[in-house]
Amino acid sequence: MTALVYVLAVIVGLAAGAVGVGGMLGIGMTWRLPALLPLGGVSLVLDPLAGVFLALVGFAAVPASLYALGDTRRTPRGRVAYLLFVGAMAVVPLAANALTFLLAWELMSLASYVLVMHDRESREAIRAGWVYAVMTHAGVVCLVVGMLLLGTWTGSFEVGAWRAAALAPGARNLVWTLLALGFAVKAGVIPLHVWLPLAHPAAPSHVSALMSGVMIKLGVYGLIRISLDWLGDGPAWWGTAILLAGAVSAVVGVLSAIVDRDLKRVLAFSSIENMGIILIGLGAGVLYHAAGLPALAVLGLTAALYHAVNHAAFKTLLFLGAGAVVHATGTRDMDALGGLIKRMPWTTACFLTGAVAIAALPPLNGFVSEWLTFQALLQNLLIERPGVNLVFALGIAALALTGGLAVACFVRVFGISFLAVPRSDASARAHETEVPPRLAMTMLAVACLALGLGATAVAPALARVGSELIGVVGSLALGDALTLDVSGNFASLSVPVVAVALTLAGLGIVGGLAITGRGRVRRYETWSCGRMLQTPRMEYTATAFANPFKRVFHFFYRPVEQIDIAAHPASRLFVQRIEYANPTRSLFDDWLYRPLLDSVHRSVRVVRVLQSGSANLYLAYILLALLVMLVFA
Amino acid sequence: MLRQLRAALRAGVVTEPGVATESAPLEVVGARLREEIHRRFKRSLHIRQVDAGSCNGCELEISGLTGPHYDFERFGLHLVASPRHADCLLVTGPVTLNMAEPLRRTWEATPDPKFVIAVGDCGRDGGIFRGSYAVVGGVSSVVPVDAIIAGCPPSPAALLAGLLAAIGRRP
Repeated sequence: MTALVYVLAVIVGLAAGAVGVGGMLGIGMTWRLPALLPLGGVSLVLDPLAGVFLALVGFAAVPASLYALGDTRRTPRGRVAYLLFVGAMAVVPLAANALTFLLAWELMSLASYVLVMHDRESREAIRAGWVYAVMTHAGVVCLVVGMLLLGTWTGSFEVGAWRAAALAPGARNLVWTLLALGFAVKAGVIPLHVWLPLAHPAAPSHVSALMSGVMIKLGVYGLIRISLDWLGDGPAWWGTAILLAGAVSAVVGVLSAIVDRDLKRVLAFSSIENMGIILIGLGAGVLYHAAGLPALAVLGLTAALYHAVNHAAFKTLLFLGAGAVVHATGTRDMDALGGLIKRMPWTTACFLTGAVAIAALPPLNGFVSEWLTFQALLQNLLIERPGVNLVFALGIAALALTGGLAVACFVRVFGISFLAVPRSDASARAHETEVPPRLAMTMLAVACLALGLGATAVAPALARVGSELIGVVGSLALGDALTLDVSGNFASLSVPVVAVALTLAGLGIVGGLAITGRGRVRRYETWSCGRMLQTPRMEYTATAFANPFKRVFHFFYRPVEQIDIAAHPASRLFVQRIEYANPTRSLFDDWLYRPLLDSVHRSVRVVRVLQSGSANLYLAYILLALLVMLVFA
Repeated sequence: MLRQLRAALRAGVVTEPGVATESAPLEVVGARLREEIHRRFKRSLHIRQVDAGSCNGCELEISGLTGPHYDFERFGLHLVASPRHADCLLVTGPVTLNMAEPLRRTWEATPDPKFVIAVGDCGRDGGIFRGSYAVVGGVSSVVPVDAIIAGCPPSPAALLAGLLAAIGRRP
């Protein structure tokens, strides 16, 4: 039965992917069922942008469901929620009126909430579920209010009518702000990201793969729709806001990822970082659009879409790999892992592919989309406004810093978790996963490679989607079959040539060593300063790796040193136990959420006076209310 | 701080003037060392120093080599931090029981071709510790020794001369 559900999910995924690709290629479709629901009924429209995200949902659901098929520890709980989750995510990009959209959106949120809470005994999961529910519903409130206002002012809940309506600038800005806040919560934009690092680790791995790979992308989908489509041409500050939010998310996301010890939480923070990169591209596109440079707007949008597709590929892969590791070792703590390359070679190879891709190293896919984002940002001098150029400069700086830190982050994740000697018994006893998860990971690893090497096929296809959305006549020229050319000859990149050059360089080094080294290889134990006893406790740890970053970015992490020494009762010179912790403090918890919650608590305490529990007082309230109503009636 | 400054000013310069002539014995030995190292080791010789239970007398003299007076790096000699980088092991001490195995491992970890110089009377045969229950006795009882620099401790000049002799004897 369980297997059946996941096989069904695979089929749904394949179908959704096929329909999505069809939509991307320009096959438009419309379904209307006005009788099914009030306020305009169900209305689904397939257009190229919806096609991209539908294909994303479909093709990410296939490996995730395959992975779930092989997870022998799975419980029956969460099967229906999983199917609903996939189904709802597939409907969101198609929805063409407010009610369909909001219903699908809410169903997606609720289904994922149930999946986050799958382990109802763990306090961590309960807290994660609670924070997720609060944050996501705060977002939904913004969306509902925004769409209701839009519906009232335009007189229709259909998307087509929103496009046609010409709203006053003030009304448009208000609606955009509300909807953008709602979508930003789902996209995990800093500082609305607090649910993400809690919910992703708590959910089962195939679900966190989908949440991180696809669900948060639907927040980006919403932002693209409101900034470039539903509300018509917007002012420049929309793009500025998106770009700056993206820059902050990228830097803060990667900084948080680099110091965390929990394997899945690192990936969750890295998702925030990648959402930031996508938003930097999108923000650039919106700014160019506002400045009347449609070709560059399409370029920015293409970069954002490309990175969204890429992130779906490698983050799904990394989450499935992390899931395989957690399944084999029973721990997510990187300081208890290590040595997995010998025990799980297949998983290690796939995880390494994903890590190289997400660190944006050529010739994999992450490199191409970050390169495109840079090319989109670097042409900002065509807008002759110093303020806007400053925003772009900040975006470029943030993207560069993020790229460097992301490499360090994934060197740490891969090196500490997979290399060296196992740091715990659980890690030493780890074993390779079953065939379906391996198949799922291999599919995604191949996708990462294909999306990189096939950039000349992918980028123009996404550029076509972008030009369709923005309304540029004719598609953007992006070079020939081997080379990507950006904006004429502003910049060009040929991924296959880079790949061949890298392969040749690697072969050259190996060959050169084989010739000049005369084959003299001696195998001997690792030099360890002549120590007799070599234990895993002497290894480099994830905490130690992160320490330089903690020092350099001290103002951001604000680490606290906690030393707890327990001495023998007879003399303090005999130390029995030393505990050392060096936790970081979240800036957003301390400066944003804690004061907010405190003020809510304070105001609630004031209101509590009204509800004292005395029946007499309540009767007095009723009388008072009656009198007031009589007076005003 | 003012008191310190005053004391420093009152004391004046107390270091001995250096002897920096071309014909000084140190310079002669150094020039020959540089020439030999240049010829045999392609410009530099990397040394890993191993303390196999020494009283640190020899270490004091060896670290004297790195000071401004002897400054042996100008002759192409370098102390390195890992036997993986070394051509030569400079072993001091009578080789205590606890240091015998680390010394053997250090020797194993040094890439071939390599040579070992035992420094000091202890390194030669255990010195005043010879026969003690706690020492193995002499570097040569643990790893093959190519040259010995005797003395308790050998002076930096003796060390340089010994190094020159050890290098010169190699084919």
